[in-house]
Amino acid sequence: MKKLGEMLLFFIILTFLLTSSVRAQSGYVLPYPSSMPGSSVYKVHLVWEKIMEFWYFGSLAQFEYNLKQSDKYLVESKTLFEYKQYLLGFKALEKSNHYFKQSVPRLEMAKSEGKNVELKEDLFQQAAKKHIEEIEKILANTPEVFVWSPEKEDPSTLEIHKLIKKSINIRKNAL
Amino acid sequence: MKNKILVFYSISLFLFSAFSYYFVDQGFSYLVKIYKIFPLPANIITFIYIVFIIVFFLLYVYFLILLKQDKLKMKSITLLIGISVAVLFFSHPTLLSYDIFNYIATAKVSYFYKENPYLIMPIEFRDDNLLEFTHAANKTALYGPFWILLTFIPYALGLGSYLLTLFSFKLFVLLFYLGTLILIWKGFKNIKALVLFGLNPLVLIETLISGHNDIVMVFLVLLSYLLLLNGKLLLGVIFFILSVLIKYASIVLVPVILFLLYQRSKNRKVNIDIIFYYSFILMMFAFLLSPLREEIYPWYAIWFLIFASLSLSKKMIYYIAFALSFSLMLRYIPYMLIGNYLPPVQSLKTIITFSLPVFVFVYFLFKEKIWPKIS
Repeated sequence: MKKLGEMLLFFIILTFLLTSSVRAQSGYVLPYPSSMPGSSVYKVHLVWEKIMEFWYFGSLAQFEYNLKQSDKYLVESKTLFEYKQYLLGFKALEKSNHYFKQSVPRLEMAKSEGKNVELKEDLFQQAAKKHIEEIEKILANTPEVFVWSPEKEDPSTLEIHKLIKKSINIRKNAL
Repeated sequence: MKNKILVFYSISLFLFSAFSYYFVDQGFSYLVKIYKIFPLPANIITFIYIVFIIVFFLLYVYFLILLKQDKLKMKSITLLIGISVAVLFFSHPTLLSYDIFNYIATAKVSYFYKENPYLIMPIEFRDDNLLEFTHAANKTALYGPFWILLTFIPYALGLGSYLLTLFSFKLFVLLFYLGTLILIWKGFKNIKALVLFGLNPLVLIETLISGHNDIVMVFLVLLSYLLLLNGKLLLGVIFFILSVLIKYASIVLVPVILFLLYQRSKNRKVNIDIIFYYSFILMMFAFLLSPLREEIYPWYAIWFLIFASLSLSKKMIYYIAFALSFSLMLRYIPYMLIGNYLPPVQSLKTIITFSLPVFVFVYFLFKEKIWPKIS
């Protein structure tokens, strides 16, 4: 009987430990990776992005545009880091951060214009959670620092983990 | 034309306009209170609707007979059109469609909220009372950019009042209806087409009551044809492009426009009847393909009715178009009666829409092609 009680207690503790270590995952869906730097259509993509910035006029549409871009560059960054393209991945993550930060004033502008932004705020929070999940995965699979040595230029140090932590903080501020 | 008929026509239109308020949107609570004092069951409402449609088509046939006998003079035609416009303008659009509310909602998204209506849906503005009226609030703009640009005029004239905006949209569409008739009359000098198109009950109901923008597209196509025929090629092409940018259906007329451009650039005379005949065929093709996008809506008939009316040589075209006009107006019956789109409503709608036109087509095929060969 005592053994059965011990076993029961063991399973209860095990269950608690296992469940407490599982964190709720965001249901927000990130896009598939699009064309990557170096591909022949990547420059066309960049031009298209600029054109689309004008198409997405209006504060709500601008919010959507910036969030979409942030999503896109986050996925691009993750893919590039996976392929150990640290410089390109680093730049893509910086871009993702830039667009993510740009989403905030757009949402505030929409709010000040009297538009109901509850759904967008909710979407933004979900996006932030998902971004943090993905960025943490990058953190686990990248070196803290990477020295980039181009052929004809001086080497530069990429503080990858510092940028990743900064990226997480930017997202956490949105929560 | 006898005065009695004119009075009867006017009274019928007036009663139909009053009847349209029976379908007033719940958003207009004060109108609902007035017009729903005497609630009627769906079968009675449907019966009244059918009676009106039959009366209007019988009157239309009567006008056509008078026209054929040369007893319908221009003065009478103007009077009939004037009465139709004056009375039906005051009808309520939700009798058969809520599209006018979509136009208003799209205009509000564009000009009040200053958002791109192709990206932002009206439903995003959850606090806005326009959602009480809009039935497709969860859709981004369905119409062309030139239409959205034009809607700034009626939207601004509405001065923020929903009722005023509603009627300024109706007025806007009405002006294009009159513009189309002026093009038929003065531009193409076709009095027969003026009556065939201008007094067709489907055209009157879908344009002057429901306020559909198809007439704007048709107006621009006709203007484009007229300009091209008069050698103003660049302007003609511009107006054709604008028509496509109202409602994309007129894109199917590109081969006709290219043919016209080619002929006119060589200074060759163009047989306008052939132009209208092929335009009819192409627009009918677009009409029949419309289920690929959503479904066949009665107001899409305006796309081909204009060319069926203008085409003088092939009678069969107009008989089929006329049969379709009638059956398309009856297409509303299953929903009116049952109140939902569940089976068998869609099948019934298809049967009602195509039975009569197919019968007319087969009759003419037999009479004109098969019978002469076997007799």
